[in-house]
Amino acid sequence: MAQTKFDAIVVGSGMTGGWAAKELTEKGLRTLVLEAGRPIVPEKDYVEHVAPWEMPFRGKRDRRKLLQDQPIQSLCYACEETNAQFFVKDTENPYTTEPGKPFRWIRGRQVGGRSILWGRQCYRWSDLDFMANLREGIAIDWPIRYADLAPWYDYVEEFIGISGESLGLEQLPDGKFLPPMPMNCAEIAVQQAMAKHFRGQRVLTIGRVAVLTQTHRGRAACHYCGPCHRGCITLSYFSSVNATLPAAEKTGRLTLRPFSTVHSLIFDSNTRRIAGVRVIDSQTRAMLEFHAPLFLLCASTLESARILLNSATTEFPDGLANSSGELGHNLMDHIKGGGAKGIIPGYENRRSFGNRPNIAYMPRFRNVKEKHPGFVRGYGLQGEAEQEGWDRGVISPAFGADFKNAISRPGPWDFTFSGYGECLPNHNNFVEIDKNTVDAWGIPSLKIHCAFGENEFAIRKDMAIAGAEMLSAAGAISIQPFQDDDPPGFSVHEMGTARMGRDPKTSVLNAWNQSHDIKNLFITDGSCMTSSGCVNPSLTYMALTARACDYAVDQLKRGEL
Amino acid sequence: MDRREVLKLLAVTSAFPAMPAEWVAAFRTIHAGLGSTPALRILTPHQDATVTAMAELILPQTDTPGAKAVRVNEFIDRIAAEWYSDEDRARFLAGLAGVDERSQSLFKKDFVDASPEQQSEILRALGEEMAQATQALADAPRGYRGTDPEPDDNFYFMFRQLTLTGYFTSEAGFTQQLHEEIIPGRFDGCVPIEPPTPSRSS
Repeated sequence: MAQTKFDAIVVGSGMTGGWAAKELTEKGLRTLVLEAGRPIVPEKDYVEHVAPWEMPFRGKRDRRKLLQDQPIQSLCYACEETNAQFFVKDTENPYTTEPGKPFRWIRGRQVGGRSILWGRQCYRWSDLDFMANLREGIAIDWPIRYADLAPWYDYVEEFIGISGESLGLEQLPDGKFLPPMPMNCAEIAVQQAMAKHFRGQRVLTIGRVAVLTQTHRGRAACHYCGPCHRGCITLSYFSSVNATLPAAEKTGRLTLRPFSTVHSLIFDSNTRRIAGVRVIDSQTRAMLEFHAPLFLLCASTLESARILLNSATTEFPDGLANSSGELGHNLMDHIKGGGAKGIIPGYENRRSFGNRPNIAYMPRFRNVKEKHPGFVRGYGLQGEAEQEGWDRGVISPAFGADFKNAISRPGPWDFTFSGYGECLPNHNNFVEIDKNTVDAWGIPSLKIHCAFGENEFAIRKDMAIAGAEMLSAAGAISIQPFQDDDPPGFSVHEMGTARMGRDPKTSVLNAWNQSHDIKNLFITDGSCMTSSGCVNPSLTYMALTARACDYAVDQLKRGEL
Repeated sequence: MDRREVLKLLAVTSAFPAMPAEWVAAFRTIHAGLGSTPALRILTPHQDATVTAMAELILPQTDTPGAKAVRVNEFIDRIAAEWYSDEDRARFLAGLAGVDERSQSLFKKDFVDASPEQQSEILRALGEEMAQATQALADAPRGYRGTDPEPDDNFYFMFRQLTLTGYFTSEAGFTQQLHEEIIPGRFDGCVPIEPPTPSRSS
């Protein structure tokens, strides 16, 4: 009979689940990792080198099939012709929203979760972020500061490998970087213009990205094929499949169980601890139970909240570990869709070679030294110069041999600034169980209530204004500011549904990602976030996970759990 | 250097134990056949000839293959059969019929029977109408978005989109005409543009 008792159980094998698996097994715990989706075998499942002529729709994707099976997932830029199987089928995974309040929930259910698909940008938080709620009297204060997390950022960065440039900025602390990727000519031109016009107040740098620029811990340097979100046979970008799960496997203490959808957690009212987990085998539909003295939820912000809401008991009628009433609330996602684009002249006889899986980045500059009158918090701008390609010939009326050769050469350098802005925590942005909707395994689904507010919209507007202003300073022509109406969820940075805090009355988790209510329950995915910052969040989730595991194992060994 | 060689080299530079050629071979086998095209399903022989002639006029054979040699017509047929909505397909086929109507009214013969000069005249007229449709969209009130409006309903726009996509995503278009590589192996952000060169590989 298969083993059902372990030292620890981790729900989810993505960004944070992979880290929990690595840390717990390396610290000696026999660990079960439950993954709802299928296994991923790099040499079989990765599709990054499929040539366009090998795709039936030449990159235009199987439109009809996507409309039928994945109408929401296919809205994500990373959902392409070859890799749609890395995104869930919307038909199997329904959720509901209020009329007029759309939320885009982009999900990957497989071993590795969305760490296979992520954008790979890695930035540390600073105390500007950790102290923002306190300073402005918004929501509740974080129970930790940068100093608490800094050594764990070091620890995570050293393992995953991040290429980037040190800047010495207070609002964006430097990390342990591999050599940075180069910028292209137009990006360097903008970088120099920023230095001249803004004198260190606005800085353009190459993105800090979890893609290797040299061999690192047995993983090869990037070969610049480009589409990381289809996989990487040389393991050059970080994902749990590429790095943390193999490390956990190496200990001999990992049991990874794919096709295992968690239904709910089992609460023992005598010990006031989680006793076990109910799992539906997604292939056989059998209901199984597994037991351990330690549980980590790493199922993603919305799935972890859903599991706890679906685990309500008489002691916790509003959801397990929810004495505060904050479980499922304070849902945030970075606001994006604001920016500007323009053409950088002067480099017409230059081109780039290779497909750099990275962008340039401008760290937050609003509300850093001076207070902005229109909004609190700020945003970072991703900036990228790309040469126009053959597709500029579609709209042209020209044809013939000269036309063919002209559009085969790189066109003008387009530079685009596009922002990711901080979203304020708001109790009224929340999820609940929709009693009328179940997924393909019979598990009740979420109803998501989420909308951006005035501060977020003011931030998005400023992205367009500042972006155009800076392109103008850089000598760009044909400048077009833009404000798209991307709904929440589209940054795929959802977070906040089980926030950390000092007071059990107003927060779900303590400073160690441990449930205030149930001592052997830890939640280390994006749920734990008390505010959203404006930088890409995965690095922080990973650092929090490693830190929480260190604490949890120590507590377990002391008999405190 | 072909892709297999590049992957082998990459494997050597990595300490990761299992990145051997048989993976790559397996990988290639899995994806072989994805590009094969069945017989035409939508286009009649006459429509196929018209599509092929128009596409070759837009992207002709030069020192590299043209649209006809890379069989853009088969890609267009696939899109019409499996990708377009019923409305899109009807609009596309009506537009294609319109090409012959225009040719008949001007030259008293179908497009495929017209002289190269006459065919070019028809493409120029289609291009002018496409430009007008684009301008109308640009003049119309619209959201404050980052993308320029495109005349998605215009037949010639649809046709050019499929022709250029089919050509530049073909093996010859990608490797010989664009000199692109699936695995470049390095990144350089600022290199001089060389004069166009013939195909790098034999």
